[in-house]
Amino acid sequence: MSPSDAPVTAPGRAAAPGAPVVSARTIRKSFGEKDVLRDISFDVPEGGVTVVLGPSGSGKTTLLRSLGGLERPDAGVITIGGTTVDFADLTPNRHGRLPRAQREQEDALAAQTGFVFQGHNLFAHKTTLDNITEGPIVVQGEDPEAARERARVLLEQVGLSEHADKYPFQLSGGQQQRVGIARALAQRPAVVLFDEPTSALDPETVGEVLTVMRDLAEQSWTMVVVTHEIRFAREVADDVLFIDGGVVVERGAPEQVILEPQEPRTQAFLKRILDPL
Amino acid sequence: MITLPRRLAHLVLALAIALAPALLSAPGAAAATTTASTTPAIASDVFPDPLRVGTEGVYAPFSIKQGDEFTGFDIDVMNEVGKRLGVEVEYVATPWDSMFAALGSGRFDIVANQVTASPEREQLYDLSDPYVETGGVLVVAEDNPKDITELADLKGKKAAENLTSSWREVAEEYGAEIVGVDGMTEAMANLKQGRVDAIVNDKLAVRNYIATSPDPGVKVVAETDDTAQSVFAAKKGSGYMPAINKALAEMEQDGTTQRIYDTYFAADVKAPTWWDLVKDNAGPMALAAITVTIPLTVLSFAIGLVLALIAAMGRMSHAALPRAIARTYISIIRGTPLLVQLYLIFFALPQMGVDLSPFPAAVIALSLNVGGYAAEVIRSAVESIPKGQWEAAQTIGMSRRTALRRIILPQAARTAVPPLSNTLISLVKDTSLTSIILVVEILRQAQFAAAPTFQFMAMYGLAAIYFWIICMVISIFQDRAEERFSRYVAV
Repeated sequence: MSPSDAPVTAPGRAAAPGAPVVSARTIRKSFGEKDVLRDISFDVPEGGVTVVLGPSGSGKTTLLRSLGGLERPDAGVITIGGTTVDFADLTPNRHGRLPRAQREQEDALAAQTGFVFQGHNLFAHKTTLDNITEGPIVVQGEDPEAARERARVLLEQVGLSEHADKYPFQLSGGQQQRVGIARALAQRPAVVLFDEPTSALDPETVGEVLTVMRDLAEQSWTMVVVTHEIRFAREVADDVLFIDGGVVVERGAPEQVILEPQEPRTQAFLKRILDPL
Repeated sequence: MITLPRRLAHLVLALAIALAPALLSAPGAAAATTTASTTPAIASDVFPDPLRVGTEGVYAPFSIKQGDEFTGFDIDVMNEVGKRLGVEVEYVATPWDSMFAALGSGRFDIVANQVTASPEREQLYDLSDPYVETGGVLVVAEDNPKDITELADLKGKKAAENLTSSWREVAEEYGAEIVGVDGMTEAMANLKQGRVDAIVNDKLAVRNYIATSPDPGVKVVAETDDTAQSVFAAKKGSGYMPAINKALAEMEQDGTTQRIYDTYFAADVKAPTWWDLVKDNAGPMALAAITVTIPLTVLSFAIGLVLALIAAMGRMSHAALPRAIARTYISIIRGTPLLVQLYLIFFALPQMGVDLSPFPAAVIALSLNVGGYAAEVIRSAVESIPKGQWEAAQTIGMSRRTALRRIILPQAARTAVPPLSNTLISLVKDTSLTSIILVVEILRQAQFAAAPTFQFMAMYGLAAIYFWIICMVISIFQDRAEERFSRYVAV
């Protein structure tokens, strides 16, 4: 594959056939006294889309941020795209700094992921195109021209070709979020992590973002999505994880978890979401 | 957060400009050299060559600095002494109230500035034989509103005196309330403006002032009983005095001293008009701006910003030690007057063996000052950038350092431009304070011209215009910078 047509589909991974792209085992994380994650385990197969549901404070965002390297679990093992970190083995100092070898291991794990934020967090002083090429050029040392070429293909994929030279403030919320998705894809991640990507958007721009995400799923990108968009979960997810109180309460195919939830907590949550009045 | 100490600095500045002539009268970076042609050396093993001489340069007609040249009665006597000793003489312009501190810290070897002999000084310094004898006079304003006619009338009245001068002691003896000034020029101005009631000062200096000032506005009403003998002063144990006294005695005998005296005290000297002064000094002052004020500002700001960035990083560090160091540094810089910092670096450090020239000392003091103030500006600008920008940088694999450089600082710069421009503009004006540590910048140059001629308005007005022009240019650049940094935000 040449770089110019590569990004439109998910990159293949040199993992053992049938092995999951994402594997999380007994993840635990507490903030002070509060246990936010308690023994969470789950897998995402290659090309799979896992949607994480749960009430606010359930730990779902912390779980996603742990996968993306933005939080450090207290214990547990995470494997993404063939890179593994056993968090019980890490020895941070009292400022949270790791020894060099461990830090590199943690960075290598994070490098397997692309992250899409709720608030998009585009670099305000850089144009659309520069937002996408910043990581490839500055961090990965990719040839600038090749990186820009790849970024244009990604922009076309999210439908923003004509906005390449605009600054974030000149775009709508939905457009900004689509740039955020393109920026995450430019990392060539093994898995794309979405943290409530539509929660901060005006209702009329939610659709364009979900459409892009649906396209990605169809192109076999491996995705983990934290969201409240039940319809998206039902139609796009391969697997739904319902989390509450830091544990997986219920998991399974969307038809099963969303349409016929077994657990009372899942039932109560879905009732609140689907019928808020 | 920075307004209070900044304002304070400005207050000091305003005060310094107002009080100008003698206090701030320390010329500069370049000590002008007057070379006395050499005849056979008498004591070259005792004297350094060149012999560095401390003098005010603003005490007409004894010590006057014109351009790079020093002239005046004391200067001519000193030159003649140097000639007879066979040593070169080099002058270091120094404000009177810093004179003995500078002598003590080795900035020069000897003082030639109407030092009056006294038992106290005799104990502390090596004093030469007198080269001129003069007396004190009591001076009041022309209309003499308090009706002071003799020294006894001074009781309870306000007298403007140099704090470290012997005339102050005389005035105090008679019960006057002392108002500290920095030289005779300033004392005369205060007297004419009615801020003080009288002055006790040197007869010759007063006579010269009345003769040369276009509008003296003062008159002599009485003389002191005792006379004052002017001497050269050096550090105790210098070993200079036997040879100097021998030269002075020869000069006395062959009439050289008298001839020099007549040059300054017998002849009528025409006072220049204010326009002549402006014409003569606009060039040298522009030169001082271009060669001293602007380089001093640019260098200090550049170094200061680097210090500020380091200090800001220290303040935001996770580790306790860098945080404590940065906090202490910022606290000291913001908690002490710039004037005191300048004095410490220039006059106190030499006592600990660190001897800096005026310009480097000024750069160090001003850089440290900018660093302390700008550190907080940079820190708050960095902290104003949303956490999401750091996280986004992290998710594309950036280290903290790269994220800071490529993502955070460029955005923080936009927030920081207006406060940093304020710091820069303050810095331009603060450079005038360095005149007290002998840097010849715009204000100092103006003082040299104003002191012997008493044309304050013309010279300080011109100095103000130069500073204003520099600051206006900076404001224009500030607007441009803000425009440039604003292209990526909604207006």
